Amino acid sequence: MKIALFDPPGNNDDFAGNPALAAKWSAQMSATFDDGVKRVNDALATSGGGTSQFYNPVTHGLTGPDVTPASAGDITWNGFPRKFLGAGPGASANFAAAEAPVVSGQAREQDEYLEWHVTRNAAGKIASVQFTCEGYDYYEFLGAEEPAVLVALYQKFIDPAVKKADLFSGGKYQRLNKWNTRDGAMHLTQSANALSAEVFLAADATVRRKNAAGTEVTSPIPLTICAQFGDERRNSDPTIGAGVNSFARQNRMITLANPVGLYIDQLDEAGFQLPDGMPTTGWFKVLRGSAGHPLRAVFAPPAGSAFTVSDVKIGGVAVTFGGQIAQHITMKLTGVASIATPVHNPLVACAGPSVVASVAASATEGPATRRGV
Amino acid sequence: MARGTSAEAEPVLDIHDIQGNILTAFNKDHQRLIALRLRSVPDARQWLRRILPHINSLAEVNHFNNSYRMQRARLGHAPRGLTATWMNLAFSRDGIAKLTSDADADLLPDDAFRAGLAKRAPLLGDPAPPGGGDPTVNWLVGGTNRPIDIFMILASDDDAALRSMAERLRPGQQDGAAAPETVWEEQGDARDDLPGHEHFGFKDGISQPGVRGLLSNRPKVYLTARHLKRPPPGTIEFAKPGQPLIWPGHFVLGYPFGDRDNGSRQDAVPLARSWFRNGSFLVFRRLEQNVAAFAAFVATEAARLSRLPGFSGITPNHLGALMVGRWPSGAPISRAPGEDNADLAQDPLSNNDFLFTIDTPPPQFLPGHGKGVGNFLRAMEGTNGPICPHAGHIFKVNPRDHTTNIGPDFDTLTRRILRRGIPFGPSLDKPLASDDGVSRGLHFICYQASITEQFERLQQDWANNDDAPKAGGHDLIIGQTATAVRSMVLPSIVPDQAGDTITAPLQWVTPTGGGYFFAPSIPAIRDVIGAG
Repeated sequence: MKIALFDPPGNNDDFAGNPALAAKWSAQMSATFDDGVKRVNDALATSGGGTSQFYNPVTHGLTGPDVTPASAGDITWNGFPRKFLGAGPGASANFAAAEAPVVSGQAREQDEYLEWHVTRNAAGKIASVQFTCEGYDYYEFLGAEEPAVLVALYQKFIDPAVKKADLFSGGKYQRLNKWNTRDGAMHLTQSANALSAEVFLAADATVRRKNAAGTEVTSPIPLTICAQFGDERRNSDPTIGAGVNSFARQNRMITLANPVGLYIDQLDEAGFQLPDGMPTTGWFKVLRGSAGHPLRAVFAPPAGSAFTVSDVKIGGVAVTFGGQIAQHITMKLTGVASIATPVHNPLVACAGPSVVASVAASATEGPATRRGV
Repeated sequence: MARGTSAEAEPVLDIHDIQGNILTAFNKDHQRLIALRLRSVPDARQWLRRILPHINSLAEVNHFNNSYRMQRARLGHAPRGLTATWMNLAFSRDGIAKLTSDADADLLPDDAFRAGLAKRAPLLGDPAPPGGGDPTVNWLVGGTNRPIDIFMILASDDDAALRSMAERLRPGQQDGAAAPETVWEEQGDARDDLPGHEHFGFKDGISQPGVRGLLSNRPKVYLTARHLKRPPPGTIEFAKPGQPLIWPGHFVLGYPFGDRDNGSRQDAVPLARSWFRNGSFLVFRRLEQNVAAFAAFVATEAARLSRLPGFSGITPNHLGALMVGRWPSGAPISRAPGEDNADLAQDPLSNNDFLFTIDTPPPQFLPGHGKGVGNFLRAMEGTNGPICPHAGHIFKVNPRDHTTNIGPDFDTLTRRILRRGIPFGPSLDKPLASDDGVSRGLHFICYQASITEQFERLQQDWANNDDAPKAGGHDLIIGQTATAVRSMVLPSIVPDQAGDTITAPLQWVTPTGGGYFFAPSIPAIRDVIGAG
């Protein structure tokens, strides 16, 4: 894949009429991809060097054919945080903990690149559930480069009453402001839910790993632990890493599809039923993004409906938490893999604790990784 | 917690208390299903007390199956005259509630069971009748209009013995004027023309998990015989090639279960009532198969594909194998990518021995084991896309070593089910000629500790979802969707050529009955459900 520019996530129109801003975003993404390539080269260097199978499609785009069909690069996972699932057969998920209220300065613990905010009416019934999958680094970019666009997005999607002063402190955008925590979900808050983390995860996962016995590590969780590219307790990280790594083992060159982002693939509404027996047709609406790249969605009754979200039953079970809907959401990212190449890189030993520490330390001031900043 | 499970002690199973079809299959050529509706609790209990001695335990069924296997191994063919006839029972949520209490029924730990299949059918994508509404409204059994309280499974090697037992055990006048009413009854039989095959023509039931657990306090008397050396830490342990070992808590309540991240033994989930122990949840689905439509689709679509460079020469059999993941014989396409291999299909140490993501290593047999294992092509990681399509039926319902949308390979172990199905209806002689209008299909039956997290995950989250467990389309065999045309991505079978996507305008498998049940322990039936 070769592209001229990195487009904004979801091909949204935030840069409309502002090519300079679009170029700045592309340059930032390009730098993140270059960092990803450097991470790979650094890892390969520990085994005598090699050729990074992760590439920047702007600066080092490939014109050869990619694997077909395009959907072969889709990597999918469930949007409900794995760590809140019930422990053992028949044990209920801890929905209350998964959406415990947060206040300014607090991030949600929803760590599958999908976060949600529940609004309730005066009677305590769920009025709507807002879902977002946008990385916070994109909003930090807007905050630094075009604050007016950022504020307008909050006013459009969260509340018209949002003021710039609510979002900024000392001239710097505060991603854990009240409108993105207590009062809404404009974008992802969890520290590992960043676009840079997605890029680094994909880059790191192109490195083929070996254990202490010299055997190649391919199973998802051992690979996640070995390569230290994410949290092995999530649905997403081992899945993304193993998917990318399988392409690497086939000697393919790998990058992420443009527009780079994490997306809501689908909500499976089979079994969603209203008290009158009707399905919830029209209740789930994509609010932001483009076809195939939804960034933001809401589950709420259409205008004129006599029901609330709390009146919906899923398979006969009443909805009392937004997480019950999140359990039916599939997330995705799309990788792009070339046809097999002659590149055959050496196996790299597992990353040790010192490597993890150094990455985490550097990440506190730089782009985020999936193991957290 | 350290990964790996091999060194952890396995529990002793209550083999005299657990019903016999759960952990070791009846595995008979004839199986009769009887659906009952309660009319009077005292009369139902009277009937239960009468038939209680006929409920067969794990100990009995396992003992017979072992004798059968030993004789077959010694004789080189199936032993003649060694037959058995078995019976097991299960109860719906409403059946349990009537015979115990609503409170007890609603303490059974499974959302799906408590709601019942009629309410869950939309979740499973079961097709609605013309005009919409309740998918179960026209079902022959179960569903909204024909609820089941008690579900009997009778099975035998001998058809006459089976019918005789049904006559004896079916509720009748001797059980009281208001004994349970038989609302539906149907027999399934192994196909005469293709024993062990379902009606689309594919060998069924090859892949079953191995359940951990000991038959007695004597060490190493395992329920599932071990043929392989223990693997390195961090990898799944197999009893024989392709048969992973799974903690019994995933099939029977009250036993240790496996951690979904690393497979390590976890203490049993506490139960709200002691009598829930040794019980298991049962799913029954009467799945009607439209054999003629399936055969026509495969023939037409193979003809179209064969004109594409990526599928040059593909036959209907080959397309069917890609859709199922196995050839009609049962040989996995992962080990027979080009053509069917009957020898592979018949080798029990090889026909289920394959992984999807890496070159499958050769099995490491224990000393004295592995005799006669065939020398077949090892399953390899595809270099041209997956050899077994991600929407292939056997991939959909058991992605093996692949990571999925909900976790790693150890998580997939926690989704496995114990299948106990059998075909019903006569074979269709000439599938390509036309449909004969006769009802045929599969009595799908499975056991698990959580219908919600096991059977329903496989059907709703994987078979019905075009992007799970991996992106690549719907399971065209059992997948159902009311909102999208079912489609399946096919990697090319010719190297370096483009793949294609096939779409299926019709659903060839249609649910026409079923229910969710709890198969309690034999003491629970005696002392709680049937007491009073």
